[in-house]
Amino acid sequence: MANTNSTRYTFLFAVIVCVVSGVLLSAVSEGLRKQRELNEELEVKRNILKAVALKEPIPPKMKGEDILHVYESKIEELVIDAQGYVVEGRTPGQLTAKDGNLYPLYIYKEDGLVMAYAFPVFGQGLWSVLYGYLAVEADATTIRGITFYKHGETPGLGGEIEKEWFQNNFKGKKIYSLQEHRVTPIIVVRGKAANFFKGEALEHHVDGITAATLTGNGVTGLLDRWIRVYDVYLSRLRKI
Amino acid sequence: MAEALLSNKNKKILKDGVWDTNPITYQVLGICSALAVTTQLKTALVMSFGLTFVTAMSNVVISLIRNYIPSQIRIIVQLTVVSALVITIDQLLRAYMFDVSKQLSVFVGLIITNCIVMGRLEAFAMGNPPWKSFLDGLGNGLGYSAVLVIIGIIREIFGSGTLLGYHVIPASFYANGYVNNGMMVLAPGAFFLLGVIVWVQRAISGYSES
Repeated sequence: MANTNSTRYTFLFAVIVCVVSGVLLSAVSEGLRKQRELNEELEVKRNILKAVALKEPIPPKMKGEDILHVYESKIEELVIDAQGYVVEGRTPGQLTAKDGNLYPLYIYKEDGLVMAYAFPVFGQGLWSVLYGYLAVEADATTIRGITFYKHGETPGLGGEIEKEWFQNNFKGKKIYSLQEHRVTPIIVVRGKAANFFKGEALEHHVDGITAATLTGNGVTGLLDRWIRVYDVYLSRLRKI
Repeated sequence: MAEALLSNKNKKILKDGVWDTNPITYQVLGICSALAVTTQLKTALVMSFGLTFVTAMSNVVISLIRNYIPSQIRIIVQLTVVSALVITIDQLLRAYMFDVSKQLSVFVGLIITNCIVMGRLEAFAMGNPPWKSFLDGLGNGLGYSAVLVIIGIIREIFGSGTLLGYHVIPASFYANGYVNNGMMVLAPGAFFLLGVIVWVQRAISGYSES
């Protein structure tokens, strides 16, 4: 056998190891791609349904097909442009990176009556990009629900954003100030919001997560961005 | 070499990993994941399976090529083999056990840096034939799994009142004022349990650090 410590042999060995493991991993990834994409689509739809807070929430163990069925019967998918007008003939599923000025919008209807408007929110947290959905009531002002379903924050700290207790804090908060007649995105505070804010101001602040201030700042930032984007559409719905 | 597949020597290799040199209670490795994924039995089981698979298979692969690995890059080669196996597991979980993969989040990926895996590669697979290495990896994986499963069972029953998601503590208990132990859901609960398990195991096996 050749000298296993020669430079040439070492290089050769490294290249072979890289190529072999690279090919194997590509094969695995490609082979499972379809199944993975199916799971991701289901996860997105499940989260939209969670954000809009269905009248009859879907049970946690519901099968994939049934979730898709509920989704199709309750959710109307739209695409809007930067001026807040509905773009006919497009669906959120077809949007690609090229459609930078088009935004997906999901409308939850119960017996033809609009219950909520939901839209995706995402942005940088501390370590990772946070992905979620925000839903507002038919008044286009009050938050009906929020979910964060994908992130790479520290479990137990920033990772708490995926927990019910954190997401429940947002329910009933307002993205629009009726007194000042302007958009007021939600701010995640350090500590308990009720300790710092009273009355109307409390409607625009939520409790933060202990030891995860920077993740909270990320949430504040991404909500600010996306609430302003969608406000051009939502503002026309407000009866003021 | 006409040694039986399960000769006494080989059995000892397997048993060492499970009991005498158990990676968690004796070597005190893999603690991080033992605390993190044991709030429920299900995640503990999946993690155990993942780690056992990775330890056993990476031991075999490294053992097969042990005489060809240039010594200067042996750690990198070991890591590459381990990473490839872990990513494969992660992808399989994402495709077929999506919920579990979400709960395990980063911890599947972190098997790569789990000291048990690298430890066994360096300490055993680099110097032993594939079958023995396989048994060594399997034994250590099972030893790790045993501790995880015990902690997972206790934490799920007392922390959530369920086992594998099924209610095991009768509703009448709750009606009479029984409450789940919140500490069991948090990391400190796992710490205390782990300490007790290490103590009991060492008391029985007679091991003491001197």
